[in-house]
Amino acid sequence: MGTRAEPFEFHATFSDLDEGLERLHESVKLLRDAAGRKPDDTNVMHFEIALAEIGANVLTHGRPNHVDPPVEYDLRLDHDTVRASFIDRGPAVLDFATREMPGATSESGRGLPMARWLLDELIYQRDGEVNKWRLVKHL
Amino acid sequence: MTLEIQSRQANNGVTVVAPTGRLDVAGAPTLKEAISEALKGGPSKVVLDMEGVSFVDSTGLGSVIAALKQIRSSQGDLRLAAPNQQVRVVLELTTLDRVFPYFSTVEEALTGF
Repeated sequence: MGTRAEPFEFHATFSDLDEGLERLHESVKLLRDAAGRKPDDTNVMHFEIALAEIGANVLTHGRPNHVDPPVEYDLRLDHDTVRASFIDRGPAVLDFATREMPGATSESGRGLPMARWLLDELIYQRDGEVNKWRLVKHL
Repeated sequence: MTLEIQSRQANNGVTVVAPTGRLDVAGAPTLKEAISEALKGGPSKVVLDMEGVSFVDSTGLGSVIAALKQIRSSQGDLRLAAPNQQVRVVLELTTLDRVFPYFSTVEEALTGF
């Protein structure tokens, strides 16, 4: 795909929805630059859509009462494979594996099915009192 | 990036609602308010000008579906204009492009509406 395959890492913690979303998109811009991809690169775009879906979910539900501790976010690019992870302290996501794309008139419920479809791997794990999310996309 | 919205009346009386920024979980409530405001004058035809929308997520998309339902329940109708590539990808991925036939430009959306 003509990329430089330059290793890239980005780490952040988020305590605020608006700030968190802003930084997620910022991290993808940095990733795109590091990978030498154009703004309309389809694979990076698909990754950004999935990342924003999981990120919005984590930032909305992963901070009970919208207080600390913050959400932990990690993004890495290595050999044209991008890996992102989130750790949050929200309630367990019980229907992760079974949630399907809702009907056309539904106003919600599309985020998880979209992310699953757009990524090469989407792994969710409940580990004690925390949720761990791992997103993988081959660029 | 806060979602900002401008509304105007086109020559044929259609309301053009033009959001600018990311139409996502943070911006969706702003669009819902703008659509409610546009419907205060009664049944309305609305063109949602997406040219200034840089990114849409599923919650933002949900707010557009809510707008469509709200407008149609008041005997109006909604057309989507000028979505960028990312918005088109999301519409097609969710098969909502069948619900929202979109137009390349606002002018095309206004024609015959």
